[in-house]
Amino acid sequence: MTGETILVFSEEPDAVLGLVATARSALAGTPGRVEAAMLGDGAAARAGGADRLYRLLLPEGARHDPSVAAAALQQVVDLAAPRLILVASTKRGRETAARLAGVIDAAVTTGVSSVALEADGVRIHREVLSGNAIGEEVLLGPNPIVAVMSSAPTGGSPAAAPTEVTDVPIEPGPARITLVERTVKPAGGLRIESAERIVSVGRGLRKKEDLALIQELARAMGAVVGCTRPIAAEAGWLSDDHWIGLTGHRVKPRLYVAIGISGAVQHLVGMRESTIVVAVNKDANAPIFAQSDYTIAGDLYAVVPALVRALTGT
Amino acid sequence: MPGPIRSWVAVKHGVDVVLARAERATGNVAMDRAPRKTSDFDRNAVEEAVRIREKFGGKVTALTVGPPTAKEALRDALAIGADDAVLISDPARPELDGRGVAQALAAYGRKHPEFDLWFFGEGSTDHFTGTIGPRVAAALGAPSLSYGRRVTVDDGAVVVDREYERELERVRAAFPAIVTVGQEINQPRVPTFMSTLKASKKEIRAVGPADLGVDGAEWAPTTRRERVFVPEVARKRQALAGADVAASAHMLLEALRAEGVLP
Ligand SMILES: Cc1cc2nc3c(=O)[nH]c(=O)nc-3n(C[C@H](O)[C@H](O)[C@H](O)COP(=O)(O)OP(=O)(O)OC[C@H]3O[C@@H](n4cnc5c(N)ncnc54)[C@H](O)[C@@H]3O)c2cc1C
Repeated sequence: MTGETILVFSEEPDAVLGLVATARSALAGTPGRVEAAMLGDGAAARAGGADRLYRLLLPEGARHDPSVAAAALQQVVDLAAPRLILVASTKRGRETAARLAGVIDAAVTTGVSSVALEADGVRIHREVLSGNAIGEEVLLGPNPIVAVMSSAPTGGSPAAAPTEVTDVPIEPGPARITLVERTVKPAGGLRIESAERIVSVGRGLRKKEDLALIQELARAMGAVVGCTRPIAAEAGWLSDDHWIGLTGHRVKPRLYVAIGISGAVQHLVGMRESTIVVAVNKDANAPIFAQSDYTIAGDLYAVVPALVRALTGT
Repeated sequence: MPGPIRSWVAVKHGVDVVLARAERATGNVAMDRAPRKTSDFDRNAVEEAVRIREKFGGKVTALTVGPPTAKEALRDALAIGADDAVLISDPARPELDGRGVAQALAAYGRKHPEFDLWFFGEGSTDHFTGTIGPRVAAALGAPSLSYGRRVTVDDGAVVVDREYERELERVRAAFPAIVTVGQEINQPRVPTFMSTLKASKKEIRAVGPADLGVDGAEWAPTTRRERVFVPEVARKRQALAGADVAASAHMLLEALRAEGVLP
């Protein structure tokens, strides 16, 4: 066996495919191996072309306790001696990564957008300063753990040889955390992450009834409605699936229209990947203007109806 | 009814993301010279611990790891209502990375294992790795309950409502337990003049590796921070101002159609 091993892990089978692809590109054509640790039958690891599959035989219903997955991974790390461990930067992924780092005493980081192996460590880029800046870091020491942001799963490149399988049984330890209740959030709803056009509203709106104006503009533009945190979390005028920003959703539409939004850094991070940004604000000095392609300085209560009229020809 | 509860809260004196600026020439942010403030979610963590004390009695201790200037974060925690505060620093290493901070906090927890609940913000405003709480818990062999949106205390146990991307959970663990919280859990009180004054007079206990029975070598960084930079966003910044609002509206729609982003 030559080359280095990258170990990937996720609780979510869907994420494994993307992680295997990320690992392959980090190996950049060197004769390294990609090994995957996962729950379930491991179909995703096979489909992604992992060289080896570690099937974690976790006790039923242990998902809520990250120490269980971390203990399982600790065993896999001993077996695989990986140069790098990649996990998905989901909430559970970050938790497991952190606990694993605690038990094997390794460097760990999360929210990573790029990863490269170098002679003395693993170079990564990640979002810092609430998304205002990018941090470039090199993780040192054995078995660094990197939680990567989701990447679109690619077709995968099948391994030269079929995936080898190792079962990893886990001794059920004393239950430290008990699950009292789990509710799956209602699915469906709005998928604002994949919207092509978004008309987004902030605290410039005076009252809930005035949302009708914004909805009318969104309809005329073929857009979905987004909002800032105060509109969702404080006023409760729109549900959380409309909330854009650091603690809300990250969006990258082709068109983002920000209406009555000041452009706080925590909001900007959620929409900065939009292709074209438009801002309507009565304050020409609002920070959003510096982050926009087209700006109209004016009262939204005049500008929005004018846009609707111009679009609908009424 | 639970008895008095000893809560700890870890707070970070992190880079102020609103005031931090990139240097024009390089696009880099000089993190070591940037203005600092108490990390946002850590205030929520302090508030939660203080509310629990107000309900059940007990004591709230704020802890931070950093150079002496990090005392500012402890003063904030005291002003919100923490009873006392501890600064953990290593004069040999003024700035620790995540591993170092977690090791230092874990060393403190091993030396003084007398907490029931240890609160953390679920991530820091500046680096937001979200790893410190669970990492300390792992080092201490304690349960970690992350992403708390509601915390209740039961006899000798904590019950946490938390939110994941696709599901909500209610989980329970016996003391001692480590809990991380986000912004939705509460609205931290704004310190009054009096509470700030009182906080400024409280003594802050300073401890170093030797006080915790370690030599500090295990606080060494495993991360080399190369740089922090602000990516260039090239926006057109075209102000549209027609003769009247209808004219501005038409100018905008024309521009968007020319960009091909509007049918
Ligand atoms: C830890 C943390 C996380 C956060 N996460 C998020 C997040 O995910 N998403 C988010 O959005 N925020 C988030 N915030 C909040 C953020 O800091 C701002 O407070 C928020 O984005 C401001 O929302 P806003 O622009 O709607 O309101 P404001 O800042 O109040 O801006 C309102 C704007 O409307 C303009 N205006 C008023 N009246 C009119 C009118 N008649 N016509 C035209 N314009 C008008 C004003 O000039 C102003 O610019 C977070 C904050 C923290 C501390």
